[in-house]
Amino acid sequence: MLASIVLITLAAAPLGLLARRGPRPLIGWGLALLPAATFALLLAQLPALSGEQRLVEAIPWAPAMGVELRFTLDGLSLLFGLVISGIGTLIFGYAGHYMASDPGLGRFMVYLILFMGAMLGVVLAGNVLTMFLFWELTSVTSYLLIGYKHDYSDARRGALQSLLITAGGGLALLVGLLLLGEAARRAGVPAGEAYTFEAIIGAGEAIKAGPLYLPAMILVFLGAFTKSAQFPFHFWLPGAMQAPTPASAFLHSATMVKAGIYLLARLAPGLGGTPLWSGTLVLVGGFTFAFGAVVATRKLDIKALLAYTTLSMLGGLVMLIGLGGKYAAEALAVNILAHALYKSSLFMIAGIIDHETGTRDLNRLGGLRRFMPGTTVFIALALLSQMGIPIFFGFVGKEIMIEAALESPLADPWRYAALAAIVVGAVGYIVAAWRLFKNAFLGQPSPDVLQQHVTDPHLGMLAAPAVPAALSLLLPLGLLPFVSQLLAPAASAVYGHGLELDLALWHGVNVALGVSAAAILTGALLARFERQLAGLPLSLPIWLDGAKLFERLTDALIAGATVLTRALQNGQLRRYMLYTTVSFLVVAGLPFILYGTASVRLIPDPQLQPYEIFAAALIPVAVVATIRARSRLGAIIAVSVVGAMVSLFFVLFSAPDLALTQLLIEVLSTVFLVLVFSVLPSRFEILSSRWKRSRDAVLAGLVGLLMTGLVLATSGSSAFSSISPFFLENSLAKGKGHNVVNVILVDFRGFDTMGEITVLLTALLAIYGLLRMRRAAPRPPAPSPSGGERGQKEGI
Amino acid sequence: MYDSVILRSVARLMLPILLMLAVFMLLRGHNLPGGGFIGGLVASCAVILQMVAFGPTFARRALPANYLAIAAFGVLFAGVWGLPSLIGGQPFLTSLWLPQPIPGVGKIGTPVLFDVGVFLTVVGVTTQIALLLAEEPLLFPTERGPADGEGAPRA
Repeated sequence: MLASIVLITLAAAPLGLLARRGPRPLIGWGLALLPAATFALLLAQLPALSGEQRLVEAIPWAPAMGVELRFTLDGLSLLFGLVISGIGTLIFGYAGHYMASDPGLGRFMVYLILFMGAMLGVVLAGNVLTMFLFWELTSVTSYLLIGYKHDYSDARRGALQSLLITAGGGLALLVGLLLLGEAARRAGVPAGEAYTFEAIIGAGEAIKAGPLYLPAMILVFLGAFTKSAQFPFHFWLPGAMQAPTPASAFLHSATMVKAGIYLLARLAPGLGGTPLWSGTLVLVGGFTFAFGAVVATRKLDIKALLAYTTLSMLGGLVMLIGLGGKYAAEALAVNILAHALYKSSLFMIAGIIDHETGTRDLNRLGGLRRFMPGTTVFIALALLSQMGIPIFFGFVGKEIMIEAALESPLADPWRYAALAAIVVGAVGYIVAAWRLFKNAFLGQPSPDVLQQHVTDPHLGMLAAPAVPAALSLLLPLGLLPFVSQLLAPAASAVYGHGLELDLALWHGVNVALGVSAAAILTGALLARFERQLAGLPLSLPIWLDGAKLFERLTDALIAGATVLTRALQNGQLRRYMLYTTVSFLVVAGLPFILYGTASVRLIPDPQLQPYEIFAAALIPVAVVATIRARSRLGAIIAVSVVGAMVSLFFVLFSAPDLALTQLLIEVLSTVFLVLVFSVLPSRFEILSSRWKRSRDAVLAGLVGLLMTGLVLATSGSSAFSSISPFFLENSLAKGKGHNVVNVILVDFRGFDTMGEITVLLTALLAIYGLLRMRRAAPRPPAPSPSGGERGQKEGI
Repeated sequence: MYDSVILRSVARLMLPILLMLAVFMLLRGHNLPGGGFIGGLVASCAVILQMVAFGPTFARRALPANYLAIAAFGVLFAGVWGLPSLIGGQPFLTSLWLPQPIPGVGKIGTPVLFDVGVFLTVVGVTTQIALLLAEEPLLFPTERGPADGEGAPRA
């Protein structure tokens, strides 16, 4: 079932093209049935997952290497899967309305479905390699989503930035995961299972003690931090708001950025708890938490403001994973759900505002409450949840988060630092939320708003943000027992042991409530001065500003690549020959001189015939003749002699197939040479300096010597047993053919041949492109005779 | 291109002979020297000989075929014959043979058909490259390019 969910979702992507035709809003909600079905299927598994039970499915892929497509479902996967498919349902329906007049909606829905499939793959994957596959797929599909409006340079830049950051982190992650698998294998796990999450977590103690833990963790952190937009890799996330709003709502609330959180939470029970783990996560997460919240209070673009609160919350979640302990696991599960609910709602409403008024700039909005009463109610619900005001779900999340910091097993300074980050975050959320609500919905309507016919959107569109916003209030009021039951398996999976979860709105008067109240009061006080606060000059030092660093790095990379390409590929064939020859001499020659000269052996052949010596002696003669030839035709003929003699040797050593092929190739290449040379001057001219020709002669001689040495060394080698007898014996029995060469080509090594003919076809396509595609461009003037000679500088 | 009566007479004569030789080489390949690669080269030699003697326009006319499509089809054809073994649960490209040889052709199995794919690819690739070069207006400004329409071989 798990594999089917992921694979069917991915396979269903072309269904998105249905949205090319109308009625689009209806088709949007129709497509939403796909995630809705997934949601229902996953929810039905809840009873089976109490405690620490899990479902496992495995499809063998490369069994010999222990690689399989493995899916598991436990509490944590279930929570993420429900959030992805639940929010996905709303997003699909919302997109049909939001982009009802966008001609590319079909394409967009295809990307969206693919992205959701990839995301489900990440959270349902049962081994690290399967997870990595889908992890990269989310990077690629989110690139398509963010760059959807590809005719805007901002969208292209945002998409490229997110791809480079997340896929770059993905590379680090791959190495980290491979190291973890290797560490598990060293800890005694059978090779076939070493890459499953169960095995890595099970062998956690041994891995932590081993030498691979430090490098593996650094790489995994890099992967998770880039994906989850942790400081200093955070800057791609605000850039990603260039995506159409349905996509950014999905990316920010439920998917993509949560992948890093998921991975860390998944690994926490096995690999967490070390100073490295806790220190890094609390430090990076806590800083991102506070940093994002502070920056959010200064933004004027609604989506940018929301983007910074998102990365702040991601920091909070990372910090929770670092804090460890029972409460942290619970807080993580609660906050993932709470954040997904209010953030998806907020982003979708930001899209509605943009859709209705044509702007997201808080300076140009105002007084919307008169025109959009329904929207005002729901954004208020979502914002109150984000602010952590009592009786909202965000409040439950914040309370338990403070509890987690207070009860963390870490040393005091860490706990207080975490607490400080939570307070700064909570205050920042209140200020940011107030700034958004006051400037957009309260006050006098701005001219921009008055000029438009602003109303509440169609019910089908408003329903999408209304559902999660309403749930932010309804869940804590009436459904806390059910929520506890849903979140307990997830928290258990993060904690590593089964735990009971009993969420409540009122815990009595305790420290957490005090901290919370203090944060709300401070926030309310500061919120009055949000304009003044935003005016304070704050900026990051350049060495901490990821966006600027990234820009400089990519600029430098492109400049460096340009210089290198100009130096290496200057269009002169003889320069390429020079580089190739010198590299060969260095790469193959040095090891040979150091290690190989001892194995050079001359094996005298007692049956050597005089005509064989004669044929062999003709080859160097022909080579010298080629070099000395003054006319092109002469050179071609001399080169053909070399080929003919090589064919002759194949005949003498009874390899008729090779001889035939070689001869045919010789004939054809002679024809090609004559064809091309017939338009060049018939005689060579020597234009290069004497020094250059001597240098080339020396290099050529050295390559000749090296090749001779290599051949003599390998033919005398007995390091490997010959494979010829196998083919000779089995050719007739298994390949049903007497011609061993052909049987090898089409049967024993059929796969190689398959590859070779594909290469042939690719080469043809390249040549076709070079010669034919150019003709679409204005035809260059016919070459003058001098033009023909210009190509001939320095001869051949 | 080379205005030679002898070359042209021989080329005309050799076209069917070389093509038959190519098919012969292909079919005998499994037991005797030959095979798809060699057969393909022989077949493209047949076309290239026409090209050398009469020019590319005539060569295209003598055997009107889309060589690019032939090459692509060849790769596809070769790959397709790796698939039947998958049905039996065996790896891609495992050979399967008919129990009885077919008179005049010999034993037929997927490797022989795979070889036919190789043959087609080699014919398509080699011939097309040769024709592309010969039709290149920058190289042969006097030779008519395909954009100028079809013309009779230059006398």
